[in-house]
Amino acid sequence: MLKKEEPQDPSVAFRYPRVITYKHSLGYQSKFAHALKMGRIIATKCPVDGRCTIPPRIVCPMHHVKQTEWVDQGQRGKLLSAFKINFPMFDSRTGDLKSWETPIVSIELEGGARMDGWCSETDTEKLKPGMVLEAVWRPAEERQGRVDDILYWKPV
Amino acid sequence: MSQNIKKSVADIPEDTIVVEVQGHSNFLVTVGNTGHQFMLELKDNKTITGIKCPGCKKVYVPPRSHCPTCFVKMTEWVKLSGKGTLDTYTVVRYKEQYMPKEPPYAYGVIKLDGADTGIVHMIGGVDLNKIKVGMKMEPVFKEQREGSILDIEYFKPV
Amino acid sequence: MNGERIAIVGVGQTVHKSKRTDINTAELCAEAVEAALADAQMTMKDIDCVILGSFEPADGYSGPDKWIVPEIGAVGKAGFEMQNVGTTGGVVAATGFNMAASGLFQNVLCVAWQKMDEAAGAFGRGGGGANEYWTGQFPMSPITNFARRTYDYMTRSGCTEEHLAMVRVKQDQCAQRNKNAQLKLGLTVEKVMNDFLLAWPIRRLHMCPTTAGSAAIVVCPEKRAKKVTKKPVWVEDWFTCHQGGALTMAEDPQASTLGYACRKIYKRCGITNPKKEINAWEVYEPASTAELRWMEEVGVAEDYKAWKLFEQGKVGIEKEIPFNPSGGVTATNPIGATPVVRVVEASLQIRGDAEEHQVPGTINRALATAYGGQGENVVFLLKKTL
Repeated sequence: MLKKEEPQDPSVAFRYPRVITYKHSLGYQSKFAHALKMGRIIATKCPVDGRCTIPPRIVCPMHHVKQTEWVDQGQRGKLLSAFKINFPMFDSRTGDLKSWETPIVSIELEGGARMDGWCSETDTEKLKPGMVLEAVWRPAEERQGRVDDILYWKPV
Repeated sequence: MSQNIKKSVADIPEDTIVVEVQGHSNFLVTVGNTGHQFMLELKDNKTITGIKCPGCKKVYVPPRSHCPTCFVKMTEWVKLSGKGTLDTYTVVRYKEQYMPKEPPYAYGVIKLDGADTGIVHMIGGVDLNKIKVGMKMEPVFKEQREGSILDIEYFKPV
Repeated sequence: MNGERIAIVGVGQTVHKSKRTDINTAELCAEAVEAALADAQMTMKDIDCVILGSFEPADGYSGPDKWIVPEIGAVGKAGFEMQNVGTTGGVVAATGFNMAASGLFQNVLCVAWQKMDEAAGAFGRGGGGANEYWTGQFPMSPITNFARRTYDYMTRSGCTEEHLAMVRVKQDQCAQRNKNAQLKLGLTVEKVMNDFLLAWPIRRLHMCPTTAGSAAIVVCPEKRAKKVTKKPVWVEDWFTCHQGGALTMAEDPQASTLGYACRKIYKRCGITNPKKEINAWEVYEPASTAELRWMEEVGVAEDYKAWKLFEQGKVGIEKEIPFNPSGGVTATNPIGATPVVRVVEASLQIRGDAEEHQVPGTINRALATAYGGQGENVVFLLKKTL
C-alpha cells in the first residue's frame, strides 16, 4: 500500500531522517498517570453537567469552569465502536511501518468517561456496540503510568 | 456491570510526571529544477553557478526560481570562478545532534566573485585561529560527488 | 459585524498533483501567487500584507515562511505565518479577511501550500491534535478518525456501504470536470465497493489523497475592491471555532462544531433556509463519507438523512444540491492549502468562472469551510452583491 520510494539522485530529492526526544510534563493530568500505575482509571468531572472526561482536563472545554473533582471509572465499560486497520501504518513510537492486527475499540466506562483501547477479540464481527468489556492490565511492576498499561480490553 | 465505582481517589498521588516521548520523521526534500541545475554543475563540472535577475541584475547563489525583490522568474545562469571573499565566520566548539561534522569546525559566509549574495559553507585547510574576515577563499571539491551542496567539502584560503 | 466590508479580488491555484519533482515547496507557492496576482491584475508591489501557512509537521520545514517569503518576493511586507493542521488554509484566509477588514491594509495576499509528496509518515505522528502520551499507542490518523465517525454514522442513520460509494462516485464525477483536480478516476459504485479496505468502512478511495499544491487569494476593503475589479466576491461573514473532546475520538464520536459555526453565522447574516439561500457549497470533507454528516450540519439535509439524497440522485453540479462541484477534498488535498482551495472554488462559482464545473444559474451566495485535526471548523460565506 504505502510504498517507500527512495530518491535515487540527491540532486533531485533527498531524505533526512530525524529522531527528536521531547519531555512533556503531564501537569494536572499526572494524577491519571499515577492511577494507571495503581491499576485504576480515573477521570475529571465537570461541575456543571457532571460529564466525566478522559483525557482529564483542569478546565471543562465546554463550560469553562475548573474541574477539581476526580472520579473512579471502574474496570469495565460498554463498547461504542470497533475497527481494525487493514494496512501497514506508521508506528509513531519507532517511525516504522507496521501491521496492526488487533482491533481498536472505543469504550464508555462505568463512570461515564470514554476512552480508546486495544481489544483481545480479533474478529470484529463478534464486537457489537453495547457489549461489556473489561480492562486487562500489565503486571504492576511493568506499568509506566501510560495508557498502554492497559494491555487490552476483553469481552466479559 | 457490577463494579463499584465509588472508590475513593484520595490515595492517588498528584505530583507531576514528565514523560519522555520520541518524534520520528523521515522527510523528503525536493530540490526543484533550479536547484537541480546548480547541483549538477557542482557534481559534473565542479562549477558553482549563480542565477541573474532580469530586473535588478542581482546574481543569486545558491540559485532560486524568483527574485525576492522583483518577484520575476530568473532564467539566466552565470558561471562563477568559485573564488570569493570571507564575509563573516564562526568556530563551532559545542556539540549537538545532527551537526554536519565533528566540532571544532569553522563555517562562514563567502561572497563569491560575480555574485551579489553570500554562500554559507564550512571553512577548512587552515588553522582555526588564523581565519580572518576578508581572506580570499576557494572551494575544495570532494572526489566522489553525488549532486549535493556537500560536494564542496569546504572553502579554503587561496 | 464591525470593520470594513471586504472582497476577494483575485484567486489562484496550482494544478494539483500527487507529486511535483520539478519544483520545491517555495516555487510551488510562487506558482499560486503568480496566478492570484495575475487574476487580480496586480503585481507584488501592490500587496501590503502577506498571510501564509501550511500544515508544518507535514512540511518538514520549521518556520518555512523564512524561506518562502523571499521566494514569493514579499520581503519587507507586513504579515506572518499561520499553522493549524488541516484547518491551516482556513485560518490563513480568516486572518487575511481580518487584516483587510481592520482597515489597516489595502491589498492582502493569502497563500497556503502543501507538498505532501515530501511528507512521509507525517500522519504516523497522529495528524492534528495528536499528543504522544494520549494517542501514542495507536496509529491515529484521519483514516482511523473517519472509520470511527462513519461507523457511528451508519449505526445511527441506517445507511449502507453502497450509499458511501455513491458519495465517492458523485465527487469523482465533479472532479472529472475540474481541470485543476488531482484524482479523476471514472469511478462506479462497484469499483468503490470493491476497493482496498483500509479500516472498515473506509476504503482507500474514500480517503483524501496526498497532494502537492498551493492556492492564493487577494483581499481588499470595499473602496479598493471596487476600483480594482469588476467582479469582486464579497466576503459576507466568517467564523472559526474549536470543539471540546478532540484528543481521543472515543470522547464523542460525532463531536463537531461545523453545525454550531453554521448556526452562528446564519443567524448573523439572517439566513433561515440555507438550502435555498446558498447556491453552491465547497465543504472540507477529508473522507467522502464525512460529506453525509457535513451536509446535515450545514443545513442542506435533515439529521442522519443525507444518504437518502444520494439514493434519489439529488446531489451534483446540475442537481438540486450542488455540493462540492470542484470534486472536493477526496479528489484533491494539499492539506494546509485545501481550505484556500475551497474559498477559491467558491469564489469562482460566484463569479461564474468555474468553467466545466460551473453550477448553472446565478450563484448569489456560496459557503466554504475548513476542517482540521479532529476538532476545528472555519466557515466562510461569500456573496455576489453587497
